[in-house]
Amino acid sequence: MPGDSLIYRLDPRVKFLITFYFIGIVFLANNVASYAFLMVFVLFAVLVSKVNFIFFIKGLRPMFWLILFTVVLQAFFTPSNHPIWHWSFLTLSKEGLVIATYIFMRFILIIFISTLLTLTTTPIEISDSIESILKPLRVIKFPVTQVALMLSIALRFVPLLIDETTKIMDAQRARGVDFGEGGLIKRIKAFVPILIPLFVSSFSIAYDLAIAMESRGYKDGQGRSKYRVLQWSMRDNWTIVFMAGVTIILLFLRSY
Amino acid sequence: MTNIISIKDVYYKYPGSEVYAINGISLDIQKNQWLSIVGKNGSGKTTLTRLIDGLEESESGSIAIDGVISDEQTIWEARKKIGIVFQNPDHQFVGATVEDDVAFGLENQGMPREQMVESVDRALAMVDMQDYKKRDPQSLSGGQKQRVAIAGVLAIQPQIIIMDESTSMLDPDGRKTVINLIEELRSKQDLTVISITHDIEETQLSDRIIVLNSGKVVKDTTPAELYNLRGQLQEYGLEEPFTNLVAENLTDVIDFKGYIDEKGLIDQLCKLNSNT
Repeated sequence: MPGDSLIYRLDPRVKFLITFYFIGIVFLANNVASYAFLMVFVLFAVLVSKVNFIFFIKGLRPMFWLILFTVVLQAFFTPSNHPIWHWSFLTLSKEGLVIATYIFMRFILIIFISTLLTLTTTPIEISDSIESILKPLRVIKFPVTQVALMLSIALRFVPLLIDETTKIMDAQRARGVDFGEGGLIKRIKAFVPILIPLFVSSFSIAYDLAIAMESRGYKDGQGRSKYRVLQWSMRDNWTIVFMAGVTIILLFLRSY
Repeated sequence: MTNIISIKDVYYKYPGSEVYAINGISLDIQKNQWLSIVGKNGSGKTTLTRLIDGLEESESGSIAIDGVISDEQTIWEARKKIGIVFQNPDHQFVGATVEDDVAFGLENQGMPREQMVESVDRALAMVDMQDYKKRDPQSLSGGQKQRVAIAGVLAIQPQIIIMDESTSMLDPDGRKTVINLIEELRSKQDLTVISITHDIEETQLSDRIIVLNSGKVVKDTTPAELYNLRGQLQEYGLEEPFTNLVAENLTDVIDFKGYIDEKGLIDQLCKLNSNT
């Protein structure tokens, strides 16, 4: 999503690494204070990004059932000596409710922070940062630049393949295939006549693209220069310092 | 005139095929010439251009680009002199944005970044797409995509541009801008253009036209002479130009001796108008 704020201007590598780092330290939180602190941090980041909050709520939607399922499971199946409510194998206790709340918080934190990454960073920036982060792997002959180019081409062709799918679906519909009817098995079966032509056409696109790339002098990724460069600046350093501060406060707040 | 491309006795057949896709072609193409290649589907037009660019290897014969005979070592240098604009604008876009795509050929040559930024801007300005620099290719029209593809080719400053049915998937507007652009570029710089096409308007602009049939050159002539063949054109998979068809029906009032181009026809019609 286009926009402009401090978060947008951060080096994508910093955003990428911090997102993963944050997901890691979320698991260090173990009491009300530490969870509350992390929540304040995430909301602060959301505020600084100037991205509309609605998008974060929308980011939760696909995960709704998973969250509900896990939370309910935690709430009713946590063993306890002091149950509030008990019925056959279901037990509702204070401990269970607390753990369920923590799990719920964990989901929210992780989803919000990763939504923040994807909303403020373009896919190509993410693929660039992966390339940059994986650079050391060149030592063990891992083809970093090739993998990064593959990734960026894959991203570039997603909308094209979606178009292709729509076209094939329309063509099949014109021949009387109904994708919305019948049971689950029948619906899955209806997708086979989409997948096969899609597969064939993606191969032909790949062939065309390979020819086009070769004609433009692409050899094997060796000796290439880069047009897009990532610019590391002072604000990226400060972000890392800030994150270190967050970690220290978190370590201070959590109970041992 | 020097020959920029010199093809001698080239034979080629696709793996697993019995028939020769290119069946003994010899052809010299001069610098700064606009050559149209026409012919039915499967006559070997695209194969010929792929052989020129070394994308396929010929079975026998030789191809020289700018005086250097192509082989596995020299082909990479040769490719820097040749740019191909393909048929489907979507299938040749490598970059995630317009500027990234234009830079792709330059990245392959290992050009330093500062130079690349300049070259990309210059190439985009040539095709008048500089305002779309940051755009995602999916948001462009077909004609705009082909213009970006041309910019990608121009960025490497080639001597030869091959248009492999580059206008066939465009609407009339897009087609016109692309053709005009190529014509304009050729008049400004030393550029050889090879265009494969089914479009008569496009061939009318060329200096020379060759007709391929079953992998052989069956006609090597000028557009005016080719269109004089009238009925025979259909054998080569071509239509008669619209101007010819109009003039043919007016033979009793205007002067029609064979091929007539648009300007000629308009002149004739004006004359007719002033007579009556």
